[in-house]
Amino acid sequence: MSSEAQEGQTSNKITCTDVTCPVCGLTCDDIEVEVDDVSVVTRNACIMGDAKFKELRSSHRITAPLINGKEAPWSDAIDKAAEIFVNAKRPFFFIGSETATEAMSVGIEIAEMLGGLVDGNATICHGPTVMAIQDVGQVGCTLGETRNRADLDIYWGANPEDSHPRHLSRHSVFQRGFFTGQGRFGRQIMVVDPRRSTTAEHADLHLQLKPGTDFEVLNALMTILSGFEPHESFTEVTGISREDIYKAADMIKDARFGVIWVGLGIASSRGKHYNASMAMRLTQLGNKYGKFVILANRGHCNVAGFNEVLAWQCGFPYAVDFSTGEPRYQPGEYSTVDVLRRGEADALFCMCADLGAHLPKRAVERLCEIPVVSIETAEGPQAFISDVVLPGVLDGMECEGTFYRMDNVPCYARSFIDPPFDFTKSNEDTLIQLRDAIKRKLAARGKTTETVEGAAETGSKATTLSEEEYVQRLDTLLSQPQS
Amino acid sequence: MEIILNTGGTAFQGACIKGGRKFTDEYTQEAAYCDINPEDFVALGKPWLVKITNEYGDSVVLQAKKTDRQQKGEIFIPRGPWANIVVTTYTESTGSPAYKNRKVEIEGGSGPVLGPVTLMKKYYSKRTNRTGRTAAEGGA
Repeated sequence: MSSEAQEGQTSNKITCTDVTCPVCGLTCDDIEVEVDDVSVVTRNACIMGDAKFKELRSSHRITAPLINGKEAPWSDAIDKAAEIFVNAKRPFFFIGSETATEAMSVGIEIAEMLGGLVDGNATICHGPTVMAIQDVGQVGCTLGETRNRADLDIYWGANPEDSHPRHLSRHSVFQRGFFTGQGRFGRQIMVVDPRRSTTAEHADLHLQLKPGTDFEVLNALMTILSGFEPHESFTEVTGISREDIYKAADMIKDARFGVIWVGLGIASSRGKHYNASMAMRLTQLGNKYGKFVILANRGHCNVAGFNEVLAWQCGFPYAVDFSTGEPRYQPGEYSTVDVLRRGEADALFCMCADLGAHLPKRAVERLCEIPVVSIETAEGPQAFISDVVLPGVLDGMECEGTFYRMDNVPCYARSFIDPPFDFTKSNEDTLIQLRDAIKRKLAARGKTTETVEGAAETGSKATTLSEEEYVQRLDTLLSQPQS
Repeated sequence: MEIILNTGGTAFQGACIKGGRKFTDEYTQEAAYCDINPEDFVALGKPWLVKITNEYGDSVVLQAKKTDRQQKGEIFIPRGPWANIVVTTYTESTGSPAYKNRKVEIEGGSGPVLGPVTLMKKYYSKRTNRTGRTAAEGGA
């Protein structure tokens, strides 16, 4: 990857090449950006990427901290935010996806230090798919392999023409790869979607199933591939003709390298992780005939990164509670929507996500009852419901960082311009300042970060061990005789 | 009329939120509409606006858009605060709410379609009685 920043014709114009896009899970790394004092011009970016890069020179950018909607000094905003979380009994940390893994790591650290809960965008996105990976296992590959090898692309509950506009041209349908030199003419396309989506218009076969029958259709395909007949009620239940389902099975049998791209049509529909589990079992079965893989079309830039970082730090991908001093994982109990629906969290931190716009009404209503601190770049529903707004830094533009692509490949994103303020250098820097402010407040109250008593309603102790202490504790546990 | 609700992202709605234009009329145009199958559209009386109501009685008024991309008996609303008025918090123990495949009621609506700021003020203004706030702010 090379980069250049050069002086253009106007005095403050810079031109950058090979910029990494911080918008969707494709993490395109071939963007060209020209920025001057008033405008931004991009090349290669899709409609969503272009809109994000134009944020560098937008009129609605939040450039000053806000407390209750009014501009305030940075130190006051950090102090107010720290005060909220030190006083909270059940603080919730929502780590959004439009930021780098380095910032996510600090957010998780604060949640653990305070004995709070932590969750990320996966919870309202491909969380059920992640559960299915734990349940069944994923046969996967990188995007490089799909572009160079795949001769069958199955979009199941996915509409990348809208969600990942460059998906078809860069990594699948139209891409002319090493073994796929014919591009579209060398690939078969199947779309499974109740809507006739724009992606479905490219399909050789569109299975327009009834909503919520993904499990039944996947099951029927596995039945046929295993040499049996689907049940006679199949067409009545799913709305798909027997001719079409046999044609789909033949396409899978004939493929040399097939990819199932699963979207939220699977993860958000009735059945959720059971649908995704069945798709992964179908993938395993497809390997009897040729090479078959399954990849989740992760929607946001670094949503996969959150799963990775949380898994490094505590062993679980999302929906984690630290209130007992040890990480506990339980989607449906510790996940954002469920915690808010039960009215459980009494303070919430939201980093680089818009929960105000994207959670169901009954969950957002809880956010109106509790103090909310957000890192935000623009006015909108999240800033509206926030008590404290800390201006966000645009990762991959104004600060460097690591994004995990949708195939879980980490991509390093460089910065090419400075933030429009000097009180923070990055979202990671903001969180470090917040963490230190919280530590100071805890110390002033006679509490240490190693033992924060009363951090949870259970009254248990939240413990953050040093690496040395952790190894010592692990050795002690391992040396104990097993019963 | 009972109908199946699906919500999801569109490229134009995505460009609107990624570009930080969430408190503009453009967001209303790109996210406050409802795709309806032509047969259902006629059965509803060719409405300009429709009112969608979920099982809890929460409702939202949207622009009606006739399209043959939808199957009969289904509607589609782009992702955003309008759709989420009627999306329920039922997660099937996965954390992921019912963004797709839930039954709702649809009928001809009388408007207006609220803009994003008005919608937020109507549904989500911070409560004067903030029960959860007392402990967190150190109050009584």
